[in-house]
Amino acid sequence: MVEERASAPLASASSPPALRASLWAGQLAVVLPVATALVFLLAWQAIAVTAGIPPAILPPPSMVLDQLVGNFPLILKHTIPTTYETLLAFGISIPLGIALAALMVYSTLAYQALYPNIIFFQLIPKIALAPLFIVWLGIGSPSRVTFSIFISFFPILVATAAGLQSVETTMLRLCRSLRMSQWQVLIRVRFPTSPPFIFSGMKVAVTLAIIGIVVGEFIASQQGLGYLILFASSRQQTDLALACIAVLCVVGLALYGCVVLCENVVMRWYDVR
Amino acid sequence: MQPEIHCDRVRKVFGKGRAVFEAVSCATFAIKKGEFVCLLGPSGCGKSTLLMMIAGLEPVTAGRIVAGGLPMSEPRADIGIVFQDPTLLPWKTTLQNVLFPIEMMRRDRAAYLGRAMDLLRLVHLDDAVHKRPRELSGGMRQRVSLCRALIGDPAILLMDEPFSALDAITRDDMNFVLLELWDRYRKTVLFVTHSIREAVLLSDRVLVMGSRPSQIIFEITVPFTRPRDAAIGESAQFNELCALLRSQIELARAGTGAAGH
Repeated sequence: MVEERASAPLASASSPPALRASLWAGQLAVVLPVATALVFLLAWQAIAVTAGIPPAILPPPSMVLDQLVGNFPLILKHTIPTTYETLLAFGISIPLGIALAALMVYSTLAYQALYPNIIFFQLIPKIALAPLFIVWLGIGSPSRVTFSIFISFFPILVATAAGLQSVETTMLRLCRSLRMSQWQVLIRVRFPTSPPFIFSGMKVAVTLAIIGIVVGEFIASQQGLGYLILFASSRQQTDLALACIAVLCVVGLALYGCVVLCENVVMRWYDVR
Repeated sequence: MQPEIHCDRVRKVFGKGRAVFEAVSCATFAIKKGEFVCLLGPSGCGKSTLLMMIAGLEPVTAGRIVAGGLPMSEPRADIGIVFQDPTLLPWKTTLQNVLFPIEMMRRDRAAYLGRAMDLLRLVHLDDAVHKRPRELSGGMRQRVSLCRALIGDPAILLMDEPFSALDAITRDDMNFVLLELWDRYRKTVLFVTHSIREAVLLSDRVLVMGSRPSQIIFEITVPFTRPRDAAIGESAQFNELCALLRSQIELARAGTGAAGH
């Protein structure tokens, strides 16, 4: 986006000041948010140290960093199951959401039976159901993964259904005039039309998948970053809890980044070549 | 000789109860094999609905449509359609879009490759064979759509205001591209338009459709020899025909309905 905007004036008026201005505008988009975050962290550090706030309430960022470095093996040990279970839940909710959406669009009967109920389920605060999954599936990994699938497949289902139905009326008329079967329309026209929708659903779903796993770990678990955060908080080790949260952010960003990367690859094939 | 397309008192009503809307009242006409007929009328007179019924995409409320000797009830492979929108698949290249009907009808793709290239050459798209629709102009896209309608060698070509979304200059170009194609393949064509000049330039016969009641109110034979070129558009006879058609459409709009039948 930034590149596009920058190259447009460059082509028409190739004067050096315009070039410099557009380059600067591009850098500003990166520099400004990073600088803001740095100023925030420095202010936090200064206030936490000078105002003498107890570290159990608000440790300075330097202490959080110390914990991150010092306890890295411990944090890493708990990061692995959280990441693994998130990937597992996300990996199952993608085909599940897409398949259900396809079924609903393929069969009017399935659509009428399922769609209103799915919208109704969307309205339930699903986090409230988390303890029940422990009752049903025990305190192990399956209950967390199932709960995470439960909350993360909805956005994929809804987005995919919208994508499959986004085919224009005249296109469907063309399909009918070619006497294509419902199945052919689904596979050859509806699915290839849907990737932008599916990816937007996946981007929401991947963040929900992490939330699902961490909530599960809060409720009943002997491992994972959610467990470690709860453990550290109960011992007033706020710096360790914050270090875990920082790692959780990195994991979340990395997974989100992977989805965006896949999206770019697919959309390049879809649009240009 | 039996007509290629025959509409007998065709009627179409949408909706039920109070919301009922009569799109086509009573359309009766016949088109000979190899004839190029334009269906001309003001917007909203039901001419597109009539075309969709002939294509088998809309059921008739009453009356009968016979195409190629068989009553129409559902879409058929021997009828090609060009819509107002090019309706191309954005992830497919020009060539893939043209061959799409062949793929969908599970015919041998290789057998139609030569025909696809011939068609694309005739509409001057040889350079755009491997381009995606987003790289093409509106006129080029509609030319791809035209080739797609002709790829399966249909007996009948139905066109629903195919050039009405294009600018005037592109539209003129497209008319001559279509004339060239028609000279080469001589399909039976029913072309829906609301442009009087387009109708006279292209067709052997013009049917004028009125609204309220929606039926064929006037018909005229266009005497110009083929192949036609841009020069006939300047002739006095051409402009007289256009003036005559315009007055008939005005009458149709006024609702008096100068009964042509």
